[in-house]
Amino acid sequence: MEIRPILSALLRNRTGAVLIALQIAVTLAVVINAAHIVKQRLDLIGRPTGMDVANIFEVHSFDFAGEFNYRERVRGDLELLRNMPGVRAATVMNQVPLSGGGSSSGYFREPEREGPEVAGNHFTVDEQAVDTLGVSLSAGRNFRLEEIDYMDLDNVDVDSVLVTAAFAERLFPDGDALGSTIYSGGGDPLTIIGIIEHMHGSWVDWEELDQVVLLPVYVEQDFVRYVVRTEPGRRDEVLGIVEQKLSELDRERAVRGVRSMEELAAESYRGDRMMAVLLTAVIFLLIAITALGIVGLASFSVKSRTKQIGTRRAIGASRFDIVRYFLVENWLITTGGVILGSVLAVAFNLWLVRTFELPKLDFIYIPLGILALWILGQLAVLGPARRAASIAPAIATRTV
Amino acid sequence: MLKMQHVSKIYRTDLVETHALRDFGVHVREGEFIAVTGPSGSGKTTFLNIAGLLETFDGGSYLLDGEDVGRLNDRRRSRVRNEKIGFIFQGFNLIPDLNVFDNVDVPLRYRGFDAAERRRRIESTLDLVGLGSRSKHIPAQLSGGQQQRVAIARALAGSPRILLADEPTGNLDSLMARQILELIEDINARGTTIVMVTHDPELARRAARSIHIIDGKVSDLEPFDPPAVAIEARASA
Repeated sequence: MEIRPILSALLRNRTGAVLIALQIAVTLAVVINAAHIVKQRLDLIGRPTGMDVANIFEVHSFDFAGEFNYRERVRGDLELLRNMPGVRAATVMNQVPLSGGGSSSGYFREPEREGPEVAGNHFTVDEQAVDTLGVSLSAGRNFRLEEIDYMDLDNVDVDSVLVTAAFAERLFPDGDALGSTIYSGGGDPLTIIGIIEHMHGSWVDWEELDQVVLLPVYVEQDFVRYVVRTEPGRRDEVLGIVEQKLSELDRERAVRGVRSMEELAAESYRGDRMMAVLLTAVIFLLIAITALGIVGLASFSVKSRTKQIGTRRAIGASRFDIVRYFLVENWLITTGGVILGSVLAVAFNLWLVRTFELPKLDFIYIPLGILALWILGQLAVLGPARRAASIAPAIATRTV
Repeated sequence: MLKMQHVSKIYRTDLVETHALRDFGVHVREGEFIAVTGPSGSGKTTFLNIAGLLETFDGGSYLLDGEDVGRLNDRRRSRVRNEKIGFIFQGFNLIPDLNVFDNVDVPLRYRGFDAAERRRRIESTLDLVGLGSRSKHIPAQLSGGQQQRVAIARALAGSPRILLADEPTGNLDSLMARQILELIEDINARGTTIVMVTHDPELARRAARSIHIIDGKVSDLEPFDPPAVAIEARASA
């Protein structure tokens, strides 16, 4: 290999090479950290929710007549919803998970707010909530129909709850949550009758997102939020007619707010998604600019060394030797850049960790980034290198 | 060593055809030192390019060291150039970013010699041209004559069968030109065949034989008559 003479030639004529190496270093540092953040955001968006998100939607009913029977309204609406073709289950909830709206409170193992407090994102539901949300029980049982009570918003008082495994493990690290009594912030005792394997709550950026408590209650008010789960692939079909069907049942109210859980989740993750899209654009832009820089330097190098290349050909270089020369030269420049870039990438990540509390860089990104830039460099220089190889050896004997 | 018969070379553009060589024939024997002369545009450089496999030709045949080199592919032509031919250019054509040692090393790397063999050849040829102590200098730090000596060392390092020189003293003052010519004569005396293109009649007279080209054809062939100095040098070697 011609590494030593190429390196010594580069060092004698270093300006362009140093600039490209610096560009590669900055590209590596930014691309690695950007890719790390993008991956983190995509992992966040794509993490399992425990629910059948793709087949769930919500629809609201708001009574404006003032004289209506909540219990009859809910009974009638649920009967209609549950009997619609394509519907698998329907329930009434105070909020929809992943929507960004909801309530939480602290729960205790001891009355009088004693002992460790664990936050729980609570939802009011009925006996079809487990099936409607598509969650699985890992222990215990679901609510029974007779356990669902009707109460005022300011006077919710239930005896039993379903909690997620994450919530149970936090409050009962020894694993004896099922059947245990817990206490809400108001001191009401609640018996855990079932453990939900996994389920996300309302706020996607909340660290305790998977600490959920389901309360068996219909909260009587003029606003009702129905949550419906359809058979797989039939969500849009049902979602398209549900507003009309409910309205036909009783026109003395407004039926609105038909939104899929996917839509709600997408809105909640909009910031993360935007960040991922923006950073991906930055990655591609930087890579394109770096590739253009390499092509530019190599093209300039070929143009300014035409006679030299012709001479090399004349004294025995094959076309492959010329292509290899430029590939090796580029590899050396890129290697210089990625060595510096690796240090920059780590430093940049430390700054991000300290400033924005981002997670530390997974070091696998560094060799992957180096490999990507090596390949990028070789591909970018291939065109100019092939042009160089096509220079006729007879150029060596030309005096002008 | 070098035998061309009925060689023709035509340069074509959209508008014109230029017959650079037509029915061109020449026979250079092993150990000869011949000068190729002719006015500008006569075809001297075209002949040199074809002889050095830097260009292809359109018709005729060309045997180099007994091998028909007219039909070789590009890779094989590169190989033949590297192994059998040494080039000396008017403008030296050294690589400005490489020092003297690395310049001489360039064709040897293409040849695939190992590092020890390359070093031995480089040091020996640099000693031969009197630049053994300048191996770390870059071309810009050398005079024109010294640069041409480096180019000669580069041409000789691979032990070529034939040395093709294109106006080797064209860019040098008379003192340096004389020294370079003496070096070339010395190389010839050691047995290397030399073909030198020049339009300087004085220089051509130093060769054992001259070929005069006019309008792409050999116009005059002089008999092979090695100079006495060369015969003496060979006898003492």
